[in-house]
Formats: sequence, C-alpha cells, structure tokens
Amino acid sequence: MSPLLLSASGLTVRFGGLIAVNEATLEVTEGEIHGLIGPNGAGKTTFFNALSGLVATASGRVELAGVDITALAPHDRASLGMRRTFQSVQLIPQFTVLENILIGLHDQIREPVWRSLFSWSGRSRAEDLAQQQVLDIVRMLGIEGALFRVPAELTFVEQRLAEIARALVSRPKIVMLDEPAAGLSPSEVTALNQLLRRLRNDWNLTIILVEHVLSLVLDVSDRVTVLDRGKVISRGTPQQVSSDPQVKIAYLGDDDHA
Amino acid sequence: MPWDTIHLWVRRLFIPILLAIPFFTDRYVQYVLNLIMIYVVVGIGLNFLLGYAGQFAFAHAALMGIGAYACALLMSRLAFPFWIALPMAGVAAMLVGSLVALPAMRMKRVYLALVTLAFAELIQWILIHWKTVTLGTDGVSLPPTQLFGYKLTGDHPMAYVILFVAATLYVLGQRVVTSRFGRALVALRENEIVAQCSGINVTKTKLYVFALSSFYAGIGGGLFALALGFIVPDGFGLFQLVVHFSLVVIGGLISMYGSVIGAVVLTALPELLRDFQWLQEIIYGFTLVIFILFMPDGIAGLGKRKGWLPREILVRNWRDLEQRQRSHASQEGRK
Repeated sequence: MSPLLLSASGLTVRFGGLIAVNEATLEVTEGEIHGLIGPNGAGKTTFFNALSGLVATASGRVELAGVDITALAPHDRASLGMRRTFQSVQLIPQFTVLENILIGLHDQIREPVWRSLFSWSGRSRAEDLAQQQVLDIVRMLGIEGALFRVPAELTFVEQRLAEIARALVSRPKIVMLDEPAAGLSPSEVTALNQLLRRLRNDWNLTIILVEHVLSLVLDVSDRVTVLDRGKVISRGTPQQVSSDPQVKIAYLGDDDHA
Repeated sequence: MPWDTIHLWVRRLFIPILLAIPFFTDRYVQYVLNLIMIYVVVGIGLNFLLGYAGQFAFAHAALMGIGAYACALLMSRLAFPFWIALPMAGVAAMLVGSLVALPAMRMKRVYLALVTLAFAELIQWILIHWKTVTLGTDGVSLPPTQLFGYKLTGDHPMAYVILFVAATLYVLGQRVVTSRFGRALVALRENEIVAQCSGINVTKTKLYVFALSSFYAGIGGGLFALALGFIVPDGFGLFQLVVHFSLVVIGGLISMYGSVIGAVVLTALPELLRDFQWLQEIIYGFTLVIFILFMPDGIAGLGKRKGWLPREILVRNWRDLEQRQRSHASQEGRK
C-alpha cells in the first residue's frame, strides 16, 4: 500500500457554540483520489478550510508527508505542496488567465532580486521558466486560447479549468478540489472525470474531491470519506460506502439527494 | 494595426525626444517639466501601494517630506554630495515607511487610513518643531550643488539628472510590477485567501510594498528639494497628499502609464490655472470625486480600453509569449 500523504486526526472546528467539524479523521494515501462527500451542511468545505489553514482548529492534528502542519499558515502549507480550488471560482478579475495561473507559481519563481531588476536584456530566466510551465498546463487542459483573456471573457468551464490550472501549475503533492463539477454539463463532467484519472495515473497526483455530483465521486474515487453534521460516519471504497446503511440514512434525510 | 505602429514609434523615439527637450525649453517650462518627472517618481511609489496593493495609506506626502528633508539637511548641514544624499533620502523614507507598515499588518481600510494620517501629521509636527535639526518653519535651502564637477544649479543642468533618476526608477518599477511580487500585490488586493492558498506570504508582501513605496517617495522628495532649492514643512502637508492621490486616481490605478499621465496632468494643470490659484483646491477635489465615481481606472484605464495605450499585463516579456502562442496555434491549425 502507498504511504500516507495527508492525515488529519481528531480535527474539530468550532464557530462559537456550533461545532462545524467534530473530531473528524481523514487519511489520504499517495496517488489516490479521495472523495469527501456528505449532505448539505455536513461541514465538507469547513473541513477543507481547516486542512488548508484558513480556519482555526479547536483540536486535532494535520500531517502532510509526515510533517506536522497543524500550526502552519495557509501560505506555508501551499509552499509544502498543498493546493486547492474553491467552491465558487476565485480568479483575480483584472488578471488574464496567464497572470492568474502565474500566481500559483509565486513561491517557485526564485531569482535574486538584483538579477531580475538589473538584467541588461530585460529578461528573467525564472519568469521564462514559469511561463513555459503555464503554457504546458494550459495546453494539457485545452485552454491555451484563453491565455490572454480576463475571466469575464471566459466561459464557465474555462474559468473552472483556469482555477484548476492555478492549483496544478506548481506540481503540488496534493490538490483539494471543492466541487469542481458544480455547474458543468454531463459531457463536461465526463471530461473532468478523465482529467482527474489522467492526473492520478500520469502525475501520481493525490486529489481530495469534495463533490455533490455523487456519480462522479463514486466513479472516480479510490476511497471515500462521508461526513454528516461534522462527523465522519463512514469510510472505505465507493462500493462499501454506498452500501453503508448509515450513509443511506444521512442522505435520505436530505431531499436533494434522496 | 495603426495603434501598434504608433506605439512602436513612440517607444523608439521616446528617449531621443526626452533627451532633446531641454535644448528647446526656457527656464520656466523646464522647471515644470522637472516637476513632472519628479511627480512620476512619487506617483509610481503611491501607485504600488494604493493601486497595485490596494492599501489605503495616507503617509505618502509625509514620506516625501522625509526624503526632501533628509536630502536637504545632509547636503546643507553635513556637506554630503548630492549623489550620496539622494539615495540616503530614499533609504530614510524607506525605514520610516516600514515603521508605518507595522500597524498596517493588522489593519484594514479606514483604520489604516486613520493611523497613517495621524502619522503624517506627526511627521509634519516634528518638521516644524524640532528646530535644532530641521530649522522649523524657516525652511532649508540647498547649497549650490555639483555632481562630479558638473554644476547642478539651474533648471536645465539638473534636468538630465532628474531624467536619469526618473527613467531608471520607471524601468525598475516596470520590472517590479511584472514580477511575481507585482502580481502578488494585486492578488492580495483582490483576494487575500487566494493569495495565501497560492503560497503568497501576505504579511511579508505588505511590508515590502510599504518599504518600496516609501523609497520612491523619498527619492521623489530628494529630487523635489533639488528642483525647488528651498523647502518648508508646509510643502508636505495635506495639500501635497491630495495632489498625490489625485495623481494616481486621475492618471490610473494599477498602471505604470497612469503614474506618468497623472504627473503630467496634475503638474501642468495648476501651472495653466496659475491666475485662478484660489480655485485649485476646489478643482482638485472636484476632479478627484468625478474620477472616483465615473472613471475609477483613470485616464490610463480609458486609454487602454480604447486601444490608445497598450495592454499592461503583469508578466515580463509577455509579448514574446503571445507571439509564440500565436505561431503555435497557426501551426496546429495547419496540421
């Protein structure tokens, strides 16, 4: 079995009196696609935010590749190779796709300040390299035509893919995708499914997927963790989880997914 | 593409024209042109902070004052040569500016504005009351200046020095904003969460932009002292600040062209309105409000939308990439 890449144990997040995530435990091994599902309000996004360091945890421990990252700021976690997307697409509105994706390479464009400021030719090797990386990723995702356009000029799918490209461009260890299929048509969901498989198989990328489109999660995930009211109620392969009576009860209580 | 051709020729002829101008100007016109170049430097500095990084800090005029006083006092009282005093003016402003940045790490919008405004008043108060050093309201005059044996007195001789400094700082500024740092500034202005999750250290980036912006203000102040030959604390008060803000807002936020356009408009306009001096402040305030309401991206924003000005993409040599991308696409098409 592949080694553990990300583990969260006993993670609790409180908002005042509300316990949004309650002693949740998640174990993600290297190179797997791990689905995180649960009815509306189960705490999936809060759990994601806690993993990326955006919300403070009341207790628990998060480890990335054996390193305790519980106390690290979001940007340090990102630098360690943990990237994410957001439920609603978050692109910088006045930036072109090129600039938006380059943001994802911020801590990899390394060059002494004097070299980038005072080079006589006006070229910067680190920037050239970064541009090539952006070019590679947009070609892979098929959005190279959008490189010099701003988000308002993009289709919804292109916006989603641009955000995914920003998360992927630095070649992270793990990518957390928050509902990447939301708002996509069935054929686009199929394409996304293929993309995720390709990333896992060709890059050996580890992916955590929060998703409402259950057919996608159950089809593409290697393992699934189910959250309900902040608690982990089931975990295992998609087959195990979908036949778990507790999961059925949790979902039947929710009309959207009955 | 007629605009592309025009842009190309402007770029080719720009430096020769700038170098030739002082041969055709009288003293007064050259004085105004010198001021424009100085305000380009000051404007770029404020644009980093207010435009790119979106930080509502109001200490820029005071920091320019620190630069001006540092330069003037070092030269007049300690007999420093200009070429040492000027960079030291920049560094002095940078140190003080970084000090202002400390509260900014925790504050936003209106609180930051208040704290920096109070700070600016404090500087003003020190310049007036610390008489043993600053000579108070009597002001400081600069001694006749030389640069490596070349006399720097008079508007024409100093024009080339100011041009050199302003052009250098423009090119460096252009490189700063097209670097990862420049993009990080806009990212933290627009979306701190995305910035953080992409590996940008927001606190460090804010601190650096305050330092950089103050450095530009300090150098601008030093040149200002040189151009005027005599400075008083009053020159760096609220009115100076209104000029700075009008400059970047009317010229265009998040734009290098914006700082240049703003400097030209804001320096030339009052000179044209000389006979109506009592109207100046009203006109400034009125124009500022009009622009904030109806044209928040300023003249440069309008110019870019209409195609008069080239696009500003915060990526070094992005035109090469576009060219490559275009030829790649046409090759794919042929296959």
